[in-house]
Amino acid sequence: MAESAIKEALAAEVGHADHDTNTGISNTKLAMWLFLASECLLFGGLITTYLLYKTPISTEQGPAPKAVYDIPFTSVSSFVLLMSSLTMVLAVSAIERGDHHRMRAWLAGTALLGSTFVAGQVYEFTAFKGEGMGYTTSRSSSAFYTLTGFHGVHVTIGIIMLVSLILLSLRGKVPQHRAEAVETVGLYWHFVDVVWIVIFAVVYLIP
Amino acid sequence: MSTDTATPVPTNVLDGAVEEYPRDLRYVWVALFLGAITLVEIATYAQPHFAVWNWGDKAGLITILLLLMALKFWTVGYYFMHLKFDKKLLTWVFYSGLILAVLVYVAVLSMFRIWYPGSH
Repeated sequence: MAESAIKEALAAEVGHADHDTNTGISNTKLAMWLFLASECLLFGGLITTYLLYKTPISTEQGPAPKAVYDIPFTSVSSFVLLMSSLTMVLAVSAIERGDHHRMRAWLAGTALLGSTFVAGQVYEFTAFKGEGMGYTTSRSSSAFYTLTGFHGVHVTIGIIMLVSLILLSLRGKVPQHRAEAVETVGLYWHFVDVVWIVIFAVVYLIP
Repeated sequence: MSTDTATPVPTNVLDGAVEEYPRDLRYVWVALFLGAITLVEIATYAQPHFAVWNWGDKAGLITILLLLMALKFWTVGYYFMHLKFDKKLLTWVFYSGLILAVLVYVAVLSMFRIWYPGSH
């Protein structure tokens, strides 16, 4: 399929070819990267707040987050999320080869791994609550739940996007010349993964 | 036009990359590399007295963990997010946001004297 054929297909689909910015990068892709750059500031703020508040002050009740962490369990969750990045990039690779069946399979695998991670987080939060560390127990617990909860919401939004892509693909709305849509969702997913790489090290592992 | 073709399409045509994306096997190797780094991270928790990171009153442990974290971050961005293959502008856009965030929040942490235990 030549470049001109792809542009013709896009023009036939939406009435005009997709516009690139004057950098040669499409609007969609550049916008996603700008969004991800701004997300660095959001998560940076949440991680900083956690670092400032991670030690409960003496008058506060309840355990500190560090006292209730289940590192082996969180390590497995981290590994699951890391592997979801592999399945995501394989989905992008599949659609760029025009292999729709494999793309859907990899997207479903990514959504499943993401769901496993979120389920693990829900279990972890429930266990922490059972050990006496609720959201309002102390400023350190509030900072911990806000940071990891925000990340969990991001993963959940990513899962919704993945399932939407699968449904759109089943209806024939994600043809090969629309591979960039899968790539853009993939960028978001990988970002969610790299944020967890930072959280896992800074929040859970670094003493 | 058929949308279900097996003919490879150059990635620069599909999404403006400047270099062809790698084959799937490369991604699997990258994932194995990331998995191996994660195992080392977990080992720092499981074997805290191992000489490689047990030095300088936890300074060794913190240094190793920050380096491993940075390496994983960079690897995912470089290969999985295709920064290696896309126009360099995207690398600048992303790392500008990241560096700005790091500088701003290091300044905030410094203001609260977090580098001096017990004084914030």
